[in-house]
Amino acid sequence: MTAVVAAPAAAAVKAPGRRSVVRRLARDPAALLASVFLAAVVLAALLAPWIAPYDPFYTDPSKGMRPPFEDAAYFFGTDAQGRDILSRLLYGTRLTLLMGLVALTMGGILGTAVGIVAAFYRRVDGLLMRVMDVLLSFPAILFGLAIAAITGPGLSPIIIALAIATVPLLARISRSSALVIMQQDYIDAARAVGLVDGAIIWRYLLPNCLSSIFVFSTLRFGQIILIGAALSFLGLGAQPPTAELGTMAANGRDFLFFAPHIATIPSLTIFAIVLAFNVLGDALRDILDPRLRY
Amino acid sequence: MRMRTWTTAIAAAGVVAIGAGTALAQGNTLNISRVIDADRYDPPRSTARSAGDILFMIADTLLSLDYDLKTVKPLLAKSWTVSEDGKTYTFALRDDVKFCDGKPMTADDVVFSLKRWIDPELKSPVRGRAGKVKDIKATDKYTVVYELQEPYSELPFQLTQYFSSIIDKETVAKLGADFGVKGFNGTGPYCWESWIPRQEFAMKRNPHYKWGPDFYQNRGPAHIERVVWKIIPENSARLASIMTNQVHLTQYVPQIALTQAMSAPNLKVVKAESYLWTAYIGFKVDREFLKDVRVRQAINLAIDQNAIVKNVYFGHAVPAYTPVSPATPDFNQKTLDVVLKYDPEKAKKLLDEAGWKLGADNFRYKDGKKLAPVFYAISGNPTNQLAEFVQGELRKIGIDMQVNLFDATIAWGKLATQEFDAYAMSYPYVSVGDAYNLYFRSAAAPTPNRMNWKDPTTDELLAKGTAAISAEERRKYYDQVQMRIQEAAVWLPTIHEELYLTATKRLDGVRAHGIYGCGVYKGLDYKFN
Repeated sequence: MTAVVAAPAAAAVKAPGRRSVVRRLARDPAALLASVFLAAVVLAALLAPWIAPYDPFYTDPSKGMRPPFEDAAYFFGTDAQGRDILSRLLYGTRLTLLMGLVALTMGGILGTAVGIVAAFYRRVDGLLMRVMDVLLSFPAILFGLAIAAITGPGLSPIIIALAIATVPLLARISRSSALVIMQQDYIDAARAVGLVDGAIIWRYLLPNCLSSIFVFSTLRFGQIILIGAALSFLGLGAQPPTAELGTMAANGRDFLFFAPHIATIPSLTIFAIVLAFNVLGDALRDILDPRLRY
Repeated sequence: MRMRTWTTAIAAAGVVAIGAGTALAQGNTLNISRVIDADRYDPPRSTARSAGDILFMIADTLLSLDYDLKTVKPLLAKSWTVSEDGKTYTFALRDDVKFCDGKPMTADDVVFSLKRWIDPELKSPVRGRAGKVKDIKATDKYTVVYELQEPYSELPFQLTQYFSSIIDKETVAKLGADFGVKGFNGTGPYCWESWIPRQEFAMKRNPHYKWGPDFYQNRGPAHIERVVWKIIPENSARLASIMTNQVHLTQYVPQIALTQAMSAPNLKVVKAESYLWTAYIGFKVDREFLKDVRVRQAINLAIDQNAIVKNVYFGHAVPAYTPVSPATPDFNQKTLDVVLKYDPEKAKKLLDEAGWKLGADNFRYKDGKKLAPVFYAISGNPTNQLAEFVQGELRKIGIDMQVNLFDATIAWGKLATQEFDAYAMSYPYVSVGDAYNLYFRSAAAPTPNRMNWKDPTTDELLAKGTAAISAEERRKYYDQVQMRIQEAAVWLPTIHEELYLTATKRLDGVRAHGIYGCGVYKGLDYKFN
């Protein structure tokens, strides 16, 4: 009997099904393009060890700074150490995406947990959200600088900084959507039938917050990549010979007048990936946000 | 009515005069760009080349160094004598020297400045360069006696370096800890005007100046009225600023752009005829990976200095195989016979002998441990390029060098630790004694002897060489010490730097000086055409 009361209500506010999301995305040409591009990028990054024409770390100083598009053997040219830029780009994209994914997952899980706990247990709401406000007042770049100053440069301090900077954002997003859901009748119904807190959160609260969290995460992923690349550009990121897009751009900046491709190719790649994530995030918001639905 | 006419006339004349004055001042201001600023401009308290840039211009030393970096010339001291036992130097000072504020300089100021340099309380990192001082005293208004506990033939060279600049006692007392931060009073060709840290340092001509070194055509006052040193950290921006005439002079055109600057119609590039500044990679000889001399030799053999010159310095440096340049006073030519030149096959053989065997991943292992020495350096170019180059070459013989590049703000602290195996650095020197005493004495560990090279024989030879009275005796000991360091492969010398000044063609009298890497030195001959 209890299940009968709860189930239809939950179904009523559920986001559109997976099929319908894909269909609606396909109808938006910009979103479709972004999705196809990102799929290709992810695939190329995953397959980097198999499709990269050269060892991304093999230096050959006699072949340094070859210009792009001239020699089929080095399609994107070579960097100052004579390494193949295309190979480094593939490995770099892999690392950059991985960095963003790990940071987003860490920050996302922690942030969502904080937001939902704050919405569900109103006693701790004030405390938790003030802590988030404090975190929010530090820019991610500052976190990165501080952590790298303590641990030294590397990928892990960047990931930690990006994760910490993501926590308060997701805490806010998940709290606000959880608060709305907490007003729904089916939550009262769930309480009335005696479900424990954990079950209410897990079965009803969290699944109904996921769409806004997902939309925000897509947008945030682009930002994370950008900030991560910026931190790497400042010299706090991956150490040589690691290929990472921000580091690659930084390495090329001293040769801007003479071999502009060394800095511009990785920079354009970052630009394209971030743009694609933003376009995709916007499209997803249009589809998933119930307030925008007509 | 009449009164008003006069007032108007005076006001008008004033406006015209001010206008003309401003135009002249702008027209006679020399803008110089550089990469970094110094933390302060107090002579004994900074070892940075960026401090020297300014201090050589706003202060003078007792002696000066000619363009050849070998001939010591008079400056504030018009002459000097050395006692037979080599322990007492007597300096006769010029009697016409004035500080920027117009106060005459006397022997008291000299004694004060030199004693302040060696005062343990000031903690000058370069006080060792003064030798083992017994006493410094003024015997009359213009005579200073410098007494040593043991002979120190380096002294005249050290007294040309900016650490021993003569400063005004009263200004130091007045400004306290702010001396060299908020103000200064020296006897240089220029005077402190203003300093905005990490932005610019402005200096104005010292009108009293007439005691410049005799290797300048103009002994003073300087032709240029005002000099502004601007900080432009970004290589590309700095290059653009000289190409577009926003600055008139710089020592820091990136090597990759020098060839282009040489052919630019509006620029000229001048090379210092003598310059002693060497870049190297030092090895911690007491740590696991590089304890074995064969591994250190293998690294030396795996690196082709000519390729570094070509790829990292774009041809504007000289390959280095010894810790000091062969042009250095007291250099041991015989060390050139035992240098380790590029031979990767021999390097691999040495590593095999040392027990580091090639694994399946093309890296070398011994007792299951990978040969992966940790490398530290201060981030910036050309160091970063050098690090990547060396890393790439070492991979080819199976060494997985772990490169860590730190921002300058934390790098010096990191470089003082014992947590790395190798590090890159470059340094200036005036002689073999200067360089080897700085780096290879046991007492110099942990910094600057970051290699932990603690060898009693080296210590003994250096002590004997330093205290030698005759040049022959000194050479005998220094020759031995150079050979010893060379054979132990304590360093991988990479390149001897070359110093270039790039200037607009509007600027005459540009000649690059190699002293402490400060190419402008006194800047007395500079003039706009």
